[in-house]
Amino acid sequence: MNKTVNINLAGIFFHIDEDAYLKLQRYLEAIKRSFTDSQGRSEIIADIEARIAELFNERVQNDKQVIRIAEVDEVISVMGQPEDYLVDDEIFEDEPQASYRTKSTTSRKLFRDTDNSYVGGVSSGLSHYFGVDAIWIRLAWILLIFGAGTGILLYILLWILVPEAKTTAEKIMMTGEPVNISNIEKKIKDGFETVTETVGDVAKNVSDSVSNAAKNIDVKKTGNSIKSSSRSFFETIGDIIMFFFKVFSKFIGVLLIIASAATLIALIVALFSVGIADVIHIPGLDLVEIANTGETPIWLVSLCAFFAVGIPFFFLFYLGLKILINNLKSIGNLAKFSLLGLWIISIIALIIFGVRQASEHAYEESYTEKTELPITAKDTLTIKMVNNDNFNSDYGRHDNFKLAYNDNGDKVLYSADIDIIVKSTTDSVARVAIRKKADGRDYDSAIERAKNINYNFDFKNNTLLLDSYLTTHPDNKFSDQEVDVVLYLPENAVTYFNNSAKGHLNYRTYDGNIISRDDTNHYMKIIYEDAVCLDCPEENIKIKVNTPSVKINDDGIEIHSNEGHLKIDKNGIKAESEEVNLNINAEGVEIDAED
Amino acid sequence: MKIENTKAQMRKGVLEFCILSVLKDDDAYVAEILSTLKDAKLLVVEGTIYPLLTRLKNAGLLNYRWEESTSGPPRKYYGLTETGKLFLKELDTTWSELHNAVTIVTSQKTPKK
Repeated sequence: MNKTVNINLAGIFFHIDEDAYLKLQRYLEAIKRSFTDSQGRSEIIADIEARIAELFNERVQNDKQVIRIAEVDEVISVMGQPEDYLVDDEIFEDEPQASYRTKSTTSRKLFRDTDNSYVGGVSSGLSHYFGVDAIWIRLAWILLIFGAGTGILLYILLWILVPEAKTTAEKIMMTGEPVNISNIEKKIKDGFETVTETVGDVAKNVSDSVSNAAKNIDVKKTGNSIKSSSRSFFETIGDIIMFFFKVFSKFIGVLLIIASAATLIALIVALFSVGIADVIHIPGLDLVEIANTGETPIWLVSLCAFFAVGIPFFFLFYLGLKILINNLKSIGNLAKFSLLGLWIISIIALIIFGVRQASEHAYEESYTEKTELPITAKDTLTIKMVNNDNFNSDYGRHDNFKLAYNDNGDKVLYSADIDIIVKSTTDSVARVAIRKKADGRDYDSAIERAKNINYNFDFKNNTLLLDSYLTTHPDNKFSDQEVDVVLYLPENAVTYFNNSAKGHLNYRTYDGNIISRDDTNHYMKIIYEDAVCLDCPEENIKIKVNTPSVKINDDGIEIHSNEGHLKIDKNGIKAESEEVNLNINAEGVEIDAED
Repeated sequence: MKIENTKAQMRKGVLEFCILSVLKDDDAYVAEILSTLKDAKLLVVEGTIYPLLTRLKNAGLLNYRWEESTSGPPRKYYGLTETGKLFLKELDTTWSELHNAVTIVTSQKTPKK
């Protein structure tokens, strides 16, 4: 009694004994492996299957009859052994010698070895591929896990992308054993020819061709054989070039993998630190939130940025793997296109966020408060900047922003973007105008933000104490808040800017400013649209004298008197008196005395 | 050097030519081509012909059409293309030259006797 299976061979239905079925399957598998894809493997196999179906059909009288192993043997003997299908390439030279060559060289393929696996069989698969013991690969993984979790990510990627060695053929390919040996192994199983004969054939063929080649070089029997030996010489060169090309491309692949994996890991770390920190509110990262005037959730922005940058790098990584590993599992078109779609969506979302963020700065509006100062032309006004220890300790204008706690312990946003502008006025009383400026999506929101700026100053004993910072509530977000302090001073008033104001003062003529940052620590007298220094050291005095007897100008000095004449100019020195003439010039010194 | 190998290679060398010649006048399906070749003892096993047919077809020398069969799967009927006919004509000439040459060489008595 025998178990039977039903098979469909080239569209025809057959009952077949199980052992006969297995034999037939191995036979077809062996034939399949003796062709390459370039030879039109699937078509050849289809033709062969059709022929086998035909042969079976001839041997089956009615539908109820079962195909036994005898019929399969018979058909195989008609069709021939797998190597009968092979000889093709050896004869036809225009065909690449792929078949023979790949049979003798070991070509390993990367598979996951699930028979010897701890997790996914990646390590043992790699150990087959690189020919090292799996324990070293596993150790490397453990080391890489300490390296910021790189190992875990890489492992998972390889787990997904590297196919599992399921069939015996794949398991043999995985260990990199030559395919002809595996064919022989198969033949032992299939009970085909004796092993020794095939091995003997192969060995004989090889030794024949080697000795032939040697003879050809020595004896040069026929022109044809010279041709064939020179051919093989050029083929060897070609092989060497191909080898280097392969090594080079593998190198590129390794570079791609390293670079893109590093980027991906960095991105993931960034995503987690920004995105997650945003969700659970880690203190230091409020800064990001403050700058984010566009009201888009930070985690969404960082996720989009992650996809926008990460997806191209993922494809680079995949490309690198593909260069290195020939039989890499495809991630599938669905995955490819959904990644592409996700990427495009992320880019669009980022553009929208960017526009929203930019539109927050569409309007810059200012809000001005004016205060009179009891300063008249006779008084001296001293101006000092006041710092707050809670905030920045140095003086100077910065347009960046920081978060800090004020005296009441409230969290505030502060900036040192304070400008001092001094102008002269014909009024008798001085005024100070505090101009608060901020950006906003529209006029109202800009004004609202400007009004929400806290800025204080104090005036006592003819001293104006200006805060060197502005503060605002963090909810207002940072939106280019700044304060211009405009001082209108009556003419003839004297000002003294303390050095602390140096950083906040502007250059002369900026917005009508008359006192520059170089004028601090000096008494400056305000005149019409300008200021003069009262205690500055005089420098670069230029004297011009023009009288009939004395002339001093850029050309030199000339003095005339009744007794003599002195001239110093670019030619030299010339002195003349009634008795002595002195002339010093480029030619030398000349003295004429009457004596 | 195995005599079987040399024999097989000699046969297979002219196999392409013979396949084309079988199809010279009429289209035929694989079993017909095979029976002709096997009758002529040019072919021992059938397997050899399939890669050859695919090669010739891919080279544009042959084309085929499907025909239903009453006793088995549909059959591929192969026929010569125009290129195939030219190719065959050239092979024909080469063969007769070769045949002549081989006859002359093999039938020649060795000069020194």
